[in-house]
Amino acid sequence: MTNMAEDLKAEAPFLSGAPAPAPEDRRRTQRESPRERKKRTTDVVIYGVLAVLVVALMVPFFWMLSSSLKENNQVLTVPIQWIPSDFVWSNYTDIWTRIPMLGYLQNSLYLAVIITCLQVLTGSLAAYGFSKVRFPGRDVLFLAYIGTIAVPWQAYMVPQYIMMQNLGLTNSFNALILLQAFGAFGVFLMRQYYMTIPDELCEAARIDGLSEYGIWARVILPLSKPALASLALLTFVNTWNDYMGPFIYLTSNRLWTVQLGLRSFVGQFDAEYAMIMTGSVISVIPILVIFLIGQRYFIQGIATSGMKG
Amino acid sequence: MTTETLTPAPVPVSRGNRKQARRNTLIGWTFILPNFLGFLAFTLIPVIAAFALSFMEWTSFTAPRWVGLENFQRMLQSDTFWVALRNTVVYALGHVPLTMALALGLAMLLNRKLKGIGFFRVAIFFPYITSLVAVAVVWNMLFSPDNGPINQFLNAIGIAEAPGWTSSSDWAMPAVIITSVWRDMGYYMILYLAGLQAIPTELYEAAEVDGASGWQRFWNVTIPSLRPTTFFVVVMLTVSSFKVFDLIVVMTNGGPGRATTVLSQLIYQEGIGEGKFGYSSAISLVLFLIVLSITVLQFKLQQRRER
Amino acid sequence: MKRTTLAALALAVTAGLGLTGCAGAAGPAEEQGQEGKTRLTVSVWNYEGTPEFKALFDSYEAANPAIDIEPVDILADDYPQKVTTMLAGGDTTDVLTMKNVIDYARYANNGQLQEINGVVDTVGKDSLAGLDAFNIDGKYFAAPYRQDFWLLYYNKELLKAAGVDNPANLTWDEYSALAKKLTTNADGKTTYGTYHHIWRSVVQAIAAAQNDGDQNGGDYGFFEDQYNTALDLQKSGATLDFGTAKSQKTSYRTMFETGQAAMMPMGTWYIAGFLQAKKDGKTNVDWGLAPLPQKSDDGKVTTFGSPTAFAVNKNAQHSDEAKKFIEWAAGEEGAKVISKIGVVPALQNDAVTDAYFQLEGLPSDELSKKAFTPDKTALEMPVSDKSGAVDKILNQEHDLIMVGERPVADGIAEMGKRVTGEVLGK
Repeated sequence: MTNMAEDLKAEAPFLSGAPAPAPEDRRRTQRESPRERKKRTTDVVIYGVLAVLVVALMVPFFWMLSSSLKENNQVLTVPIQWIPSDFVWSNYTDIWTRIPMLGYLQNSLYLAVIITCLQVLTGSLAAYGFSKVRFPGRDVLFLAYIGTIAVPWQAYMVPQYIMMQNLGLTNSFNALILLQAFGAFGVFLMRQYYMTIPDELCEAARIDGLSEYGIWARVILPLSKPALASLALLTFVNTWNDYMGPFIYLTSNRLWTVQLGLRSFVGQFDAEYAMIMTGSVISVIPILVIFLIGQRYFIQGIATSGMKG
Repeated sequence: MTTETLTPAPVPVSRGNRKQARRNTLIGWTFILPNFLGFLAFTLIPVIAAFALSFMEWTSFTAPRWVGLENFQRMLQSDTFWVALRNTVVYALGHVPLTMALALGLAMLLNRKLKGIGFFRVAIFFPYITSLVAVAVVWNMLFSPDNGPINQFLNAIGIAEAPGWTSSSDWAMPAVIITSVWRDMGYYMILYLAGLQAIPTELYEAAEVDGASGWQRFWNVTIPSLRPTTFFVVVMLTVSSFKVFDLIVVMTNGGPGRATTVLSQLIYQEGIGEGKFGYSSAISLVLFLIVLSITVLQFKLQQRRER
Repeated sequence: MKRTTLAALALAVTAGLGLTGCAGAAGPAEEQGQEGKTRLTVSVWNYEGTPEFKALFDSYEAANPAIDIEPVDILADDYPQKVTTMLAGGDTTDVLTMKNVIDYARYANNGQLQEINGVVDTVGKDSLAGLDAFNIDGKYFAAPYRQDFWLLYYNKELLKAAGVDNPANLTWDEYSALAKKLTTNADGKTTYGTYHHIWRSVVQAIAAAQNDGDQNGGDYGFFEDQYNTALDLQKSGATLDFGTAKSQKTSYRTMFETGQAAMMPMGTWYIAGFLQAKKDGKTNVDWGLAPLPQKSDDGKVTTFGSPTAFAVNKNAQHSDEAKKFIEWAAGEEGAKVISKIGVVPALQNDAVTDAYFQLEGLPSDELSKKAFTPDKTALEMPVSDKSGAVDKILNQEHDLIMVGERPVADGIAEMGKRVTGEVLGK
């Protein structure tokens, strides 16, 4: 990916005399064998640690998977049964007809994608204002942002609902989008990340005649890929797994999201746990896909080579 | 507080004449505005409305009635409020440092190029996306006092009186904390991973040339460079610890007795559960003030360090 | 370059999703009020999983072609929370279903419901079980259409294997002895003599009903015997330990349907659920019903129950139609409709009871029938604006007694102290 930052690095003499070789290359040119041997041992140790961790972290997920293949009355047994006695594969075919699962998935995806896009866009814009532009009242405003994160939603849920009702927005996706797309979380996250980007980069771009908007789009955004990826991932996951918001605002069944659909297996006195777990397994898949796509941005690293922070 | 004391020293753009300042204000606001409009209308105003309610009596059906500080007086006299406040603080004291340390450790472990590292990253994020019910059932099973694996292990290493975990008033909170740390560390690991990526490799290389050991590099390069991320993580963790709700509801539902009842549960029960919106708003105002003062403190600390 | 493509792609995807999302690919399309029909909205929980609603609505629409009923489907878990929020926003749903009397008391006292004395009079005050609960100073703001009460489910095979015919006319002592006798442990698999679910009602509401105790009273001495019985059963291993049941979220259905528990005190709502499980081949337990065990052996049966009712929203768009619907649903027609799917109607007369026992799969022995005609059915929880807060305290203290952290007497004293101090005032 070519971007302004790399151009800058190549052009601006004060940034770096010559393009720095990638860390990989440099490592290879230095004393090879002891380093590599050491690296290999470290790798083995790390793999070992990770393998143990993964097992410990996946146990509940395994239970979820195994329960999704049981009859409802076989799920919550004492003692716990790790492997189903009969594999009820039909849960995975039944769920599509028991509830309109496909429609729920579409609704969830629609909400999650729109909210994530808006949150990332407006969040990174506002974060630039909060971190790279200096103007009076900025920090107070920023504290107001952080402050609202500290208020539990349960406290202002009803005033918010009354407002939405008066605007005629309840029972629609718009209500949820408006509520969740402008959260303070994204602004805060991006602002903190932008703080780590040296101001010299912006300065250089200003000297080159870029406007503030140009700096945001062509210098800062390309540099903040890991942060953008994590914000997008976390926003997506939170929206996807949100239950209370859709529950309060979406009444018509055709607007329901996956999380609401799963809860419809909970009755007044009992619940169909096998179906809930089946649905949960299905609903995790989109998150995994997003994660696998997004996670490669975490290793790309940002192009500040040659910078003295 | 005045803005001046809070303002860090970002690079001054120019000589800072008045015209420049006005221009900066304009530019700053155009960046913030798209987010701020939505934030103002749908978050800030309802929040302010909720705070106003804490001085009123309101059942949501009738017009609110001004009662002054009555709600706060009731709250201070309520035994349950103090129990919930204490539980919330205990939870936060356990949850914040543990999650932070583990998240950072995992991020350091996973911030490298290794075959299949993507899989491990997903795996560590898994607890966060596993159904809460599954998490609660499995952890409760692990914590089972008589035959749970955790207590069997404790017995094996010579601890005869293993704790009763979720069926004991004293141990339910530690059990909840352990589960929540396990669940949340993957989430914060993602944030740290992004933060680690922002550290220029040259800083490490320079430190290496100076002969710094791995440990020294960690303290002198990694930790200072991660300061903005750490600030974010600490604030988010503090806030989310003080607001903890879902996990407790599913895992212990505040029990046994009131051993794990927390403030946000109280807010929910008193407000939407029983229709005492004024009273529940008063509790949330107190919760807000506590968290805000912690955050402002951290904000100031962070800025002092940055200078 | 690449970035622009990505952005364009994201936009396209978003736009595409927007179309499908808004077109409402999911679920049944919103029912439109058809030409000339009045659209009556009714709030319900878990519409798919609670067949009584559909049965009632379909029959009513068939009998009244001018009415089109639209269910407002709300998840069962947080039903009252959503209704409270909706009403706060001035919602105009016509009929509100009252899930329990605690919520009813709150809505009625807040002036959110219309008085429907006329409806109650037409249906007949004497024949509606559980109606007393809805009386607020001579005014009725809801009419019950369903009345669940508690009885004892038992597994005929397990009892026979232990040489017991049926659990008839049990006192609590006899019940305990029987439960212990029925507990077996073979091949590492325990069969419990009985299963007590973790709800506080299993102990407290039974004690209140059979001792004429007031759960809002602040003096809870009448709980003591029942707690001793429950704890004794637990200690002897004749029922699953409370801590385990609570933390493992044990399902009472699983305990009974897999033959892990030989007996189980439970509400009548489970009848419909059990019949369905049997029909689907998910259980092969041969079941019977018996009256709840009693304090004394005088032959009189006292149990407790909880009615479910329909009420008219103060802001209803169609108040008259709403009242007519409730009159029908709580009356004989409605009672017959829900009887057919195994739900116990509030309206009780011979015709309705007979219709109920026509149900396929219901045990038809005399004891089961006797279980259906208790001499007295007390209310699970008194109707008062204090009930919600008291309920919470009693629940918390119940936990502590059952996990063995508080001796019974201390727990009961603490309940009294907290209810008096925190709820009953000053």
